[in-house]
Amino acid sequence: MGTVAQRLIGAAGAPPRWLQSGARFVPVVLALTLWQVIVDLGLVNRDFLPSFSDTVAALAHMIRNGEIGLNLFVSLYRALSGLVIGSFLGIGIGLLMATSARADGFFGPLVATTYSLPKAALVPLFILWFGIGDVTNILTVVLACLLPVIVATYHGVKAVPPVLVWSARAMGTPGPAVLWRILLPAALGSILTGVRIALSFCFVLTISAEMIAAKTGIGKLIFIYGENGAYAFMFGGLMAVVIVAYAADRALVAAMHYILRWDDSLHSVTSYD
Amino acid sequence: MTDRARAPAGSSTGGALRRIAAMLRDWVFYAYPLVLLVLLWEAANRLGLTRPLFLPSVPDVIRQFATMLVSGEIVGPLALSLYRAFAGLALATAFGVAIGLFMSRSRFAHWAFDPLVSIALPTPKIAFVPIFILWFGIDSLSKILLVAFTCVLPMVVATYHGAVGVSRSVIWSAEAMGTSESKMLYRVILPACMPYIFSGVRVTTPVALITAFTAEMIAGGGGVGANLMFAQRFFQTSTVFVDILVMLITGFVFDSILLRLRDRLIPWQDEAERQ
Repeated sequence: MGTVAQRLIGAAGAPPRWLQSGARFVPVVLALTLWQVIVDLGLVNRDFLPSFSDTVAALAHMIRNGEIGLNLFVSLYRALSGLVIGSFLGIGIGLLMATSARADGFFGPLVATTYSLPKAALVPLFILWFGIGDVTNILTVVLACLLPVIVATYHGVKAVPPVLVWSARAMGTPGPAVLWRILLPAALGSILTGVRIALSFCFVLTISAEMIAAKTGIGKLIFIYGENGAYAFMFGGLMAVVIVAYAADRALVAAMHYILRWDDSLHSVTSYD
Repeated sequence: MTDRARAPAGSSTGGALRRIAAMLRDWVFYAYPLVLLVLLWEAANRLGLTRPLFLPSVPDVIRQFATMLVSGEIVGPLALSLYRAFAGLALATAFGVAIGLFMSRSRFAHWAFDPLVSIALPTPKIAFVPIFILWFGIDSLSKILLVAFTCVLPMVVATYHGAVGVSRSVIWSAEAMGTSESKMLYRVILPACMPYIFSGVRVTTPVALITAFTAEMIAGGGGVGANLMFAQRFFQTSTVFVDILVMLITGFVFDSILLRLRDRLIPWQDEAERQ
């Protein structure tokens, strides 16, 4: 009796991994079903909330005619190149600040005062200087990604136990090697946490900048469909954004797990999975 | 890095004078990179490297700031933006704390909310602006709800982590003494995760301000963000600079206030946060 079920569930009795991780998303399926049902039952005005199936159909249509592919590619190019430039600059400045009091004194106040400035506010200024397009967009993303990475690198390096540095020095490690072989690896968990924050910023800023002024991009696409009242398409574009942002975050977390597989404090690093 | 060096406490009037002098000195040392930046900006202007349309001179911006301050072009929109940001933040805190506590106490709530939170957390919420305009108009309501939507998830996560981190033995002791479930929440768990909630508020305050300003820039409907876009459309670059300055100062002031508050309310949090 029940061999099929047993075989499905697995010999040890515990459900297999794919089933476990699949079961985790049951609430999402329920929420999407609820969305479909309340629209189909006419509980909400269809003009204001297209149903799930209409949204998926619109998304599929936009994927087929290449609208999503083109605009998503443009947006991802802006977001990710901004993220990469911002992260490397941020790691460099953060390292500099953590190892030199003079650099700390110079960059510290700049970081503290500009941290809570909405970087999107610079978009109108950048449009004046560089015109509408990739430069304005990427520059905004770079500035937004820079700060969390600086702060994370700074705190990460500052938190490295001095014993590690002393031991390395005592064993005759030269200065630059201390940086590469001790400080950077020890701070990597913290740095990557900063990059994860920057990843979410890079999407927010790309889309904000595109909605403020752009000719292409997924943010612009959503905005235009919204203005024209093609709401199923607006929701479809948004659905693409949600999926891409979630996938990017998952990919980064997986990469962090791989890169930091030697690190005991890994679980505190990727605290919310 | 964010804390300015504290001046030594004095006891007499001479001490007070010394304290002020020390504060002034600390401030100058602290602010020199900013001053340098402003000087560089003014130099570029004086040397004719840029056109005023692209980069107005420092005195022009200061003059414009004063004019707008007197005419109420700063205070009115700023009040509107702050109202939107903090109304949204208040909603987010109320709902976020409730959901976070609920998730920590009920397996069902955790099962139901966890995947939704983990999908919604990395979503760029600003992309929902067109939908919020559609549902709630272009006035304050759509901005308040967008701010709430953006801030509620970090608040859920902060509260949940705080509540889950409450020591088992504390909960068991309370249970052993016959504490009811509702009392457990109010008297044991909520106070114990207060530092986490406060830390969540501190993290989400700039997010709330940024979201409100950005939503105003995209959707219009008054506030500092909408003013900035309006000024840019008419190439009033000095007004653009004034509005950016207003946003910068606002963010900095609120961050400083929250830092002070934290030192006052939960001095042990600083250590906990570093871990």
